[in-house]
Amino acid sequence: MTITKLTSALAAGAIVAGALATSGAALAQQKTEISFARFFGACDADYGTSQDYQKARGECGVMTTLVNHFNATNKDNIVVKPQIIEWGPYYQQLTARIAARDVPTIAVMHTSQIGDFVRSRIVEPIEDDLKAAGIDINDFTPHAKAGVTLNGKVHALPWDTHSWLWHINVGMFKQAGLVDAAGAPIVPKTVDELMQQAKLIKEKTGKPYFVMASVAAGDAGNGARSFWTMMYTQNASIFKDGNFDKADFNSPEAKNAFEVFERLSKEGYITKGTDGAGALGGFIGGNGAVLLTGTWRIDDMIAAAAKPESGLKEYTARIFPNLFKQDAVWADNHSWVMLRGGTNPQTRKAAQIFMKYLWDHNFDWARGGGHLPIRNSLMAEYAKLPERPNVMRITEIGRSLPHDVRRQFGFQSLIGEEVNNIINGNKLAAQAMKDAQERADQLLSRR
Amino acid sequence: MSAPSQARPVRVARRDADAVGRRTAWNALFIAPYMLAFLVLLVVPLGLGMWLSFQDYDMLAGYGGPVGWENYERLLGDRIFLGSVRNTIWFVIISVPAFVGLGLFLALLLNDDSRKSSFFRSIFFGSSVLSVTIVTLVWRLVYMPDRGLLQNIAGMFGLTAPNFMTTEALALPGIAIVTVWWIIGLPMMLFLAALQQIPKEVYEAAALDNASRWRVLVSITLPAIRRTIVLVAVIEVILQFQLFGQANLITNGGPNNASRPIVMFIYEAGFRDWMLGYAAAASQILFVLMLGAAMLQMWIGRQKDGG
Repeated sequence: MTITKLTSALAAGAIVAGALATSGAALAQQKTEISFARFFGACDADYGTSQDYQKARGECGVMTTLVNHFNATNKDNIVVKPQIIEWGPYYQQLTARIAARDVPTIAVMHTSQIGDFVRSRIVEPIEDDLKAAGIDINDFTPHAKAGVTLNGKVHALPWDTHSWLWHINVGMFKQAGLVDAAGAPIVPKTVDELMQQAKLIKEKTGKPYFVMASVAAGDAGNGARSFWTMMYTQNASIFKDGNFDKADFNSPEAKNAFEVFERLSKEGYITKGTDGAGALGGFIGGNGAVLLTGTWRIDDMIAAAAKPESGLKEYTARIFPNLFKQDAVWADNHSWVMLRGGTNPQTRKAAQIFMKYLWDHNFDWARGGGHLPIRNSLMAEYAKLPERPNVMRITEIGRSLPHDVRRQFGFQSLIGEEVNNIINGNKLAAQAMKDAQERADQLLSRR
Repeated sequence: MSAPSQARPVRVARRDADAVGRRTAWNALFIAPYMLAFLVLLVVPLGLGMWLSFQDYDMLAGYGGPVGWENYERLLGDRIFLGSVRNTIWFVIISVPAFVGLGLFLALLLNDDSRKSSFFRSIFFGSSVLSVTIVTLVWRLVYMPDRGLLQNIAGMFGLTAPNFMTTEALALPGIAIVTVWWIIGLPMMLFLAALQQIPKEVYEAAALDNASRWRVLVSITLPAIRRTIVLVAVIEVILQFQLFGQANLITNGGPNNASRPIVMFIYEAGFRDWMLGYAAAASQILFVLMLGAAMLQMWIGRQKDGG
């Protein structure tokens, strides 16, 4: 009897355990996990569990809280798993992951980079996905739409338009008498005016005019964005007559752009050997009048200037000014792509739902980070935010390289490194032009 | 009938006696796990890398067919690559003697049983456990031109600190200082182990002969640890040829390509510009350089042994 009872008890236990395991597995099966490869930094110490995206500041804070909020509130049992990679080596790692067939469901991608991935058929059109998700592509801003459209088809969901700014310490401009009657900073209109202002700032404050990170791999973008802006304001390009297989740095316009950095470096009007953290800390500490960085720092700077102990006395942002012929500025877009081999029907459906969530929260991203939204319907609201009226014209004058230009990340690196060589290594502009030409020829020598 | 029955026990006895030392094909099983890992993880990738170096292979666009020696020919005309070869060799030349000399010096200083020596051995080895990211972050704060620790200290005396991050001639020495600070622990420990193998009687005999400290060092200690010196030199040559993280994170190869090592060039060509064939060709050149340098070191060591 005892043995029989024991056997019965064991059998019952096994059945219960089996049932529990089955129901657990069923629950687990209902959850759909999607991987979400991105940069924008990691800030778990501040926002690890927060869902309050309306109070979050900065790119990282808003992105983290949005994902937390989606994971906690979506009704479709979808779990978004962020895969956070530092910005500098992001594309290197993403490409290696694609080669190793470890493809994320959704990945962030600059629209300047999409061309290479579309030509390799790794990024495919997603118009059907956007329609299925209820995203109205007619609401895309013109710059964003042009960024994600290749061969007449939308290949990504745009997320923002970002551009290149002068973040200005108005207090230092005042010290040097470089403000108008209303107390607004006077922005130079020519290179000579820029040099005169830089001289005044140096004399009156003892600090350099420009603060710019120019050391780390990710810093190469800073020099490159400034270079492109100065080329666009001269209505020039390194690609001529629609020939995107040959870059040409031997032009008066490229010389002008490199020479601006040569003059700034020689006179000590720009910081040398500074990394990203050093540049940011230095500018907030009052160690330079103008920080060269993008729209993504607007909100951080507003917050920094509000602190009484800050060396940033009064802050304002301006689009990188036209020092040559016409108003124009480098601009790019962040976008979300679904890579070939990264989804199955279940995760694709989940990715559509998450993209719709992102689309619905585009304004929160623009508010917390500083980027321009990519929805026409949000522009009026965006213009009411602090400092944003100063950057609204980016939608009109923002320019990018055509998608036909191959290996745009390589170009950004080589141009940025040559600018950094002028700043940190005292390289002459003429030599930088020659070296950039040689490196560009190498870069485009293959398919 | 009797002959076979007599022969059988003799054969059995011989087999038993030889069983331990006899070579059979089955013995290979003992090294099979290692050989398998060696083949799969080292020999096959090496062969694939050699094959790849003769191909046009783009990480995104895919395979473009064989190109013969074209990748190598392009490398020989690529000033960035040639600069990286020059930088790497220069880095090995300045860092390896520092590892051998300083490692030996520290080992000689700390070669006793005192608590103080034990404490300092831990301190000098401690930095080796840090990741390259942390080490370079700390040293960037030291080297930063305007507000770095070095400049702050020099500024207290009214001086200007040398600018390791923006001076071409100082970029590689600056990285060498970081590297030596970071991983001096391993050569120090190897030298300590070798020093502790030298019989104490030899030193006692030298003391009886009133031999000076210098005499003891050059006539007893250095000859006794000669093989370890060669070992440390070979290990460091191989390691320092593979310089990457420190240069990538402190100077990003600059200024003016003055600190870009070969491995960083390979990384950029392969993963940033997606030219895998080109990167593989650069890897083969690095392999030949490392092999040549290590063999030269070992040959020099053997010459001294023979003498």
